[in-house]
Amino acid sequence: MSPPLERGAPEQPARTSVDVHETGLTAPVSDATDAGTPAAGPPEPAVPGAGLPDSPAALWHAVRFRTRIWVKRARIVGVRVARLVGIGASRLLPGIRYLLRSVHRKWRRSLQFRTVLTTLMLAISSFAVVGAYLSNQIANNLFQERLVQAESETRYNVKQVQDTFDGAQVTDQSSVITLVYDTLNAVEGRGSVIQRRYVFEAMPEQTKPRNRWVESRASDQLTISVIPPELRKAVQDSGKEQFWASTEFPVGTEDRPGIAVGNKVTFNGTVYELYLIYDLNTAQKTLDEIQNVLLAGGAVLALLIGAVAWYVTRNVVSPVSHAALVSEKLAAGQLQERMVVKGEDEVARLGASFNHMAASLQEQITQLATLSQMQQRFVSDVSHELRTPLTTVRMAAEVLYDAREDFDPVNKRSAELLYNQVERFQSLLADLLEISRFDAGVATLDAEPGDIVQLVSHVMEGVAPVAAEYGSQITLNAPAGSIIVDMDDRRIDRILRNLVLNALEHGEGRPVNISVAANDHAVAVAVRDHGIGMAPAEAARVFDRFWRADPARARTTGGSGLGLSIAAEDTKLHNGWLQAWGRKGSGANFRLTLPLHQGETITKSPLQLEPVDVGLHGAAGQRTMLLLDPAPAPRGGNQVAGSGPDDGPRAPGPADAGTTYPGTAGTGTKERS
Amino acid sequence: MKARILVVDDDEALAEMIGIVLRNDGFEPVFCADGGQALDVFRSAKPDLVLLDLMLPGIDGIEVCRQIRAESDVPIVMLTAKADTSDVVRGLESGADDYVPKPFKPAELVARVRARLRPGDQKAPETLRIADVTIDVAGHLVSRGTERISLTPLEFDLLVALARKPWQVFTRELLLEQVWGYRHAADTRLVNVHVQRLRSKIERDPEAPEVVLTVRGVGYKAGS
Repeated sequence: MSPPLERGAPEQPARTSVDVHETGLTAPVSDATDAGTPAAGPPEPAVPGAGLPDSPAALWHAVRFRTRIWVKRARIVGVRVARLVGIGASRLLPGIRYLLRSVHRKWRRSLQFRTVLTTLMLAISSFAVVGAYLSNQIANNLFQERLVQAESETRYNVKQVQDTFDGAQVTDQSSVITLVYDTLNAVEGRGSVIQRRYVFEAMPEQTKPRNRWVESRASDQLTISVIPPELRKAVQDSGKEQFWASTEFPVGTEDRPGIAVGNKVTFNGTVYELYLIYDLNTAQKTLDEIQNVLLAGGAVLALLIGAVAWYVTRNVVSPVSHAALVSEKLAAGQLQERMVVKGEDEVARLGASFNHMAASLQEQITQLATLSQMQQRFVSDVSHELRTPLTTVRMAAEVLYDAREDFDPVNKRSAELLYNQVERFQSLLADLLEISRFDAGVATLDAEPGDIVQLVSHVMEGVAPVAAEYGSQITLNAPAGSIIVDMDDRRIDRILRNLVLNALEHGEGRPVNISVAANDHAVAVAVRDHGIGMAPAEAARVFDRFWRADPARARTTGGSGLGLSIAAEDTKLHNGWLQAWGRKGSGANFRLTLPLHQGETITKSPLQLEPVDVGLHGAAGQRTMLLLDPAPAPRGGNQVAGSGPDDGPRAPGPADAGTTYPGTAGTGTKERS
Repeated sequence: MKARILVVDDDEALAEMIGIVLRNDGFEPVFCADGGQALDVFRSAKPDLVLLDLMLPGIDGIEVCRQIRAESDVPIVMLTAKADTSDVVRGLESGADDYVPKPFKPAELVARVRARLRPGDQKAPETLRIADVTIDVAGHLVSRGTERISLTPLEFDLLVALARKPWQVFTRELLLEQVWGYRHAADTRLVNVHVQRLRSKIERDPEAPEVVLTVRGVGYKAGS
């Protein structure tokens, strides 16, 4: 006898797709007959009107099984990487740090590296996005195709099974079992390859008919447990509708991804759930292959793009770095350096205009150099041409001068005048030539260690006759017996001689004090006179060449007007300071400070500029502060304002005049009215 | 006997003026206005001293100086319009003993001439030693072992001055006074250049001197 079979409606297109994934049912049941959901693929021709799963659900499935595979891969790779990192962290950390630092340095310093790296990064990330999208689409399509096939096949097979069951005329147990098993085995398909697997299970919670001999049946290795509970529930709760879900099932030793499509069949009055499971392994393999191809292609493409970026940037950057190199060489004085110009593009134009610039620079510099050489040559020639006749004149004048006692008074006086003025002319010429040598930049420092105290003594001996003439006494205060300092003694001698002669000239017969002192880095010589001092207005100009405070005043002294200028230049050549202090009625103080060793800079002079003896008296307004500071000393501003921290106590006076000169100007005789 | 002095200068006025001054002081001047003829005049006149202008037509003064020095130890005093380091040093290196920068005073010129003409003092028989060098002062001979070393009178005087007081460090100024006869401070380059010339002749290795030692910051002394 045959129990009434609840017949489904397999031919009915009504079907629902269920989205099942690991966390549960997320996509609500959607009836494919709803026109609202457009089909995501061509309609299945075998089952006309059969709907297709909506694309979000399909997408989720694709993502799900792809994710699963990637998670597996990632886990393996992750473990390996973690192990490597563990080893590396202990052994290679300094190396990695160095690598990172050098990459960072390279990043900062090389435009090419930066461009190539950026291009590579961008290319890789865009490949990743495109690759992910493509791979997703392909996976989705593959899945959809398989799903559509699975659904139509299921519908067909379920109908076959139901038809077979409906037409069965078996009543005894063995034939029923045989029938059911044969029917179900037929579902697996013909041939050696299993086309689909099945799980056949009696629906629970129904009255068990007497002739129910088959409870459940499944393909090899399968049990009802491979069917997701959500799918079962959907199938159980529905009428004769078909549902599907992704699942995994064991084949041999491995788990394979698959689609389980469920429906109900009735046999002998018992409702059974029939699930057909379709293997997705081939699709997965195809997908893997496609992904591998994509990955390899992407990698190759990224490398190619990197290479292209490298080549292109090299083409652009190498002329630029070449230009940088060439301009460095140009700046270093290799004026003949030029860029290599190839072609007619922008880079070639850059090269051409760069070369043009270099050429015109070279031309101008050469021109200037030639001019300067001509100037020097001229000075040198003038020197020779003037000196030879001057020597003759001077000798003749001296012969006449020596014989003056034999002349009458007029001739005698003439001989004296001639002699004196030739002398003056000669010193003027000598100073002029010296200044012109400084201006031409040909003066060189010939520094050797020497004792400056000894040099000061020499100068004092040398000027003793002049001092006697002025009636001044020169005193030396040098606590240290000898101070060795790097100096060009010819120049220092000239500076000191100028300072002392200047002091004698303006000292009005009062004593002139010379002090010498040293600290760790510098030595100072101060020449102090007690003459009439200087007014602020004079102070500003006292260092100009040939400048005189009172032009009307007779030029009785032998100075050329260039002595202090030359002293300043000589000091500058030594990287020293030459500074002057003066006050009306209190005389003046000139201080020369030199570094003990050439190449060092002076930070503090061992002697103070303002003499202690003038301290705080003297009316403001009569005080003058003069500065001649050839070296760009950091204390400059301070000194202009008044006194440096080492310059002793000074009364702040509004009329203090301070001037700093770059050391190119000066005067040999400062005159005070 | 009057000392004969060869004046090589192209400026006739100056040469004449120098001649007047020299004659005034009891010297016998001989003139030559051209560098090319200087050597011939030198050979025929056999002067006791040469006053040589550095800038000459024909051969320049430095070359003339070198030629004369090649065949004679006669003192040479340069007259130079350029007091620049390079010219003076070049002149001294080519063999000149001293120089007088233009414009000079007659007294200065005569003092230089006299200093170089100073008769070799009263040379008592005396033998001095510095390191492995032997100096026979009276015989004006310097030798290392059997090897004779030829020095100009100035170099000889310089070496003798150092050798006589081996314990003393000579400053350049002191040497200028003792050897050149300067009363006042003069150009210490004279000393530097002549010490170098002297070293190039008597030192085994002029870079590592053993006979004439430099005392940094002070001057020179004889080696032991």
